[in-house]
Amino acid sequence: MVRIGIVGAGIGGLSLALALRERGLQADVFEQAPELTEIGAAIGLAANAIREFDRLGLAGELTAASTIPTELIYRHWRDGSRIAAHPVRQDDWYARQFGAPWFGVHRADLQKILSAAFGAEHVHLGCRLVNITEQADSVVLEFANGRTHVADLVVGADGVRSVVRRWITGADDMVYSGTSAFRGIVPTENLPSLPDPHAIQFWMGPDAHLLHYAIGGAGEAVNFFAVVETPSIWLHDSSVTEVADEVPVASFRGWHPAVTEMIDAASSPIRWGLFTVRPLLRWYRGRVVILGDAAHGMLPHHGQGANTSVEDAFALAGLLASARGDDLEATFSRYQVLRRARTRKIQRSSQVTSALLHLPDGPAARARDAKVAAVPQDFGWIHEYDVQRALEASGVVSVGHSRNEAR
Amino acid sequence: MPQDQVLAGITEILGGVAGISQADITPETSLADLGIDSLMMVEVVVAAEDRFGLLISDDDWPRFKTVLDATRYIDQAGEWP
Repeated sequence: MVRIGIVGAGIGGLSLALALRERGLQADVFEQAPELTEIGAAIGLAANAIREFDRLGLAGELTAASTIPTELIYRHWRDGSRIAAHPVRQDDWYARQFGAPWFGVHRADLQKILSAAFGAEHVHLGCRLVNITEQADSVVLEFANGRTHVADLVVGADGVRSVVRRWITGADDMVYSGTSAFRGIVPTENLPSLPDPHAIQFWMGPDAHLLHYAIGGAGEAVNFFAVVETPSIWLHDSSVTEVADEVPVASFRGWHPAVTEMIDAASSPIRWGLFTVRPLLRWYRGRVVILGDAAHGMLPHHGQGANTSVEDAFALAGLLASARGDDLEATFSRYQVLRRARTRKIQRSSQVTSALLHLPDGPAARARDAKVAAVPQDFGWIHEYDVQRALEASGVVSVGHSRNEAR
Repeated sequence: MPQDQVLAGITEILGGVAGISQADITPETSLADLGIDSLMMVEVVVAAEDRFGLLISDDDWPRFKTVLDATRYIDQAGEWP
């Protein structure tokens, strides 16, 4: 049996481990953290990822931990007026349109569901990758704790600061976006000024925006992500840095009380630098390949970082399973061809969207406002994507069994 | 690839994205006049990369103003390894 090593037990790495198992392949997952603890923030799972988790039989657990937004609403930064609104849960619009729902879920809850489904036996914690050595017919992973692991192929699911990517490209392809974010999770009851607390909402203003949506089985908390166009240069080694207590809310001075109230209520004076990965020529070298943020780290403004990682994972699993005995390079090349154009398009679209969300009041903002009225039509291509259909269209015969059929 | 082939390819992509007849697109036509906004430009760039087998830097494509700008860039860029 082919020995597969996955570097990183985040959403992409665990999704790949599960997707491989569904196809009858076993992987070992190596995580640098001493225990599985996601950051204290939420994630929006879109139809393009949920339809894959659904096939694994995880929809029930995800539903219990998630909130489906009532609507997607765009608002003016100062007066709070509704610029555009699109139904999501209303009339079941989103799920009917895209074939699966949209879930707001805490990252820790998602990680718990995925890791429980995979089990602990093949997850190796406290393993920080320090070296990769390629041998004639295997790859040796060396970890900071002194452990080594020999695999036939290695998948780097190790995030935007990927060690595996650096080994593949020989360069640092990470780019600071010139934008940073404050984030937090606030009990819904602490947000009296917030209209439509169970909607997903963009508040758009000059040089900044705030996005929020509810999470938890009963929408009991609101997760927000507030982006500013500073600092112009990121001087820290880490992606996060502490700021003075008043900095987050002061960055949104003059905004609608619902915005300032939310940021104030979170009281977590941490600034997150937003980094991307420049579009890469190659996603693999020899027996080593990357997925998710490691391959195409993007700005989060389409909410697609994790969702495209899940797509990558299921695409790669499908290709590996159908190519047993085949040349690995040919499989990785097919994977790259299948995934690269789509993820590049979403990366760049997210980048352009960042600028559009941050326009000052004026003619350009009015033109933007007219466009957000067509968001479900213009960006339906992101959400309607179906990995299994893409695999079939690319000539890979789908194994296509669900968990239930496999029994 | 000869420059006229690149031009023909770019014209076809732009016509498709903008929903405009290729006959109405000349090398000097400005992308703004075709109604190509920044999000449409993303489509154009990704389609051009696939068609011509190269990568267009994110530092460069936002500076394309005319059909000819894009054509020259692609004409001068190397093939993917």
